[in-house]
Amino acid sequence: MTTLHVLSHSPFGDNRLASCLRLLGNADAVLLTGDAVYALQPGSEPRRQLSERRLATRLFALEEDLQARAIDPAGLALAIDYPAFVELSIRFDKVNSWL
Amino acid sequence: MKRHRSPIGSSALGAIEMAKSLLIISRQAPWSGPGAREALDIALAGGAFDLPLGVLFLDDGVFQLQAAQQPGQLQQKNLAANLQALPMFGVDELFVSSVSLAERGMDAGNLSLAAQPLDEAELSALVDRYDQVITL
Amino acid sequence: MKFAIAVFSPAHAPSSRRALLFAQAALAGGHEIVRLFFYQDGVHSASGNIVTPQDEQDVPAQWREFVTQHGLDAVVCIAAALRRGVLDEQEAQRYQRTAVNLPAPWELSGLGQLHEAAQVADRLVCFGGN
Repeated sequence: MTTLHVLSHSPFGDNRLASCLRLLGNADAVLLTGDAVYALQPGSEPRRQLSERRLATRLFALEEDLQARAIDPAGLALAIDYPAFVELSIRFDKVNSWL
Repeated sequence: MKRHRSPIGSSALGAIEMAKSLLIISRQAPWSGPGAREALDIALAGGAFDLPLGVLFLDDGVFQLQAAQQPGQLQQKNLAANLQALPMFGVDELFVSSVSLAERGMDAGNLSLAAQPLDEAELSALVDRYDQVITL
Repeated sequence: MKFAIAVFSPAHAPSSRRALLFAQAALAGGHEIVRLFFYQDGVHSASGNIVTPQDEQDVPAQWREFVTQHGLDAVVCIAAALRRGVLDEQEAQRYQRTAVNLPAPWELSGLGQLHEAAQVADRLVCFGGN
């Protein structure tokens, strides 16, 4: 069964993203929300790690959180709105939010 | 509009053979607030309804399993009692991340509760086989 | 599609607002919300005593309006709520407290309601943290 992992904490000084990537399955996806979108900060170590995982079409970020923080997801993550968040939660068999 | 709530849930919990399985991933250290205990409470409540569920101790959550803790020093109730209640409530699928243990210098053979150590690939397979997951 | 939505953060946390917007989008998309369940610090998202500054978004008021408007089943975990001082009239009387801060449409009940909702729903989606 596929899982949509939802993160909301900044990857700087927190190990949720690292733990999530460790148990991420081959068909699982990651959605960055809130401060977790800082993982896409250009030139940063978390962004480098995410690129290395080659998630391609399995990495998403909430558009409002990207825009609020002036983070450009270009080339790495797909920006989505709330209706798309709902659709993603259905496309995958379950949602695992890292509270 | 007041809905009637039976103290043991309703008909949905009666159809056990159809029940969805739930994995609770507990990531919180034991004495950082009520978080660890409240995560266990979800498991104990589910166990009381005979729901199929498992608990995985991950990251700082593995500190809950450290042997010989003395929470009385902090005027805290012993979490070990709740942990030990899990199998009694029918929650006997207990797992612990071997990476999280190793990072913290802990040994799977010396924990306060018998939990099956899993490596990274096994963790991935574990999450995969449950219908639902709550990570807290 | 049937959703069970669980909220673990107070109204001032961005994740509480995110849960609300997700829930609104789910209904707008033609889906059903079988229950909203508020646990841990999420019980504060249901508090009726929050006074939001006038120039800020009033998330607790929006939650209340959303639940009322759609007649949703919105359950606040009783054990988590008592510990955090979120009380309805009955509990305030029982424990002889002076303030009631959990008016309708919220209801206090146990964790079994979370499990029941998760069993009935096609998806359980949790919101918490930041």
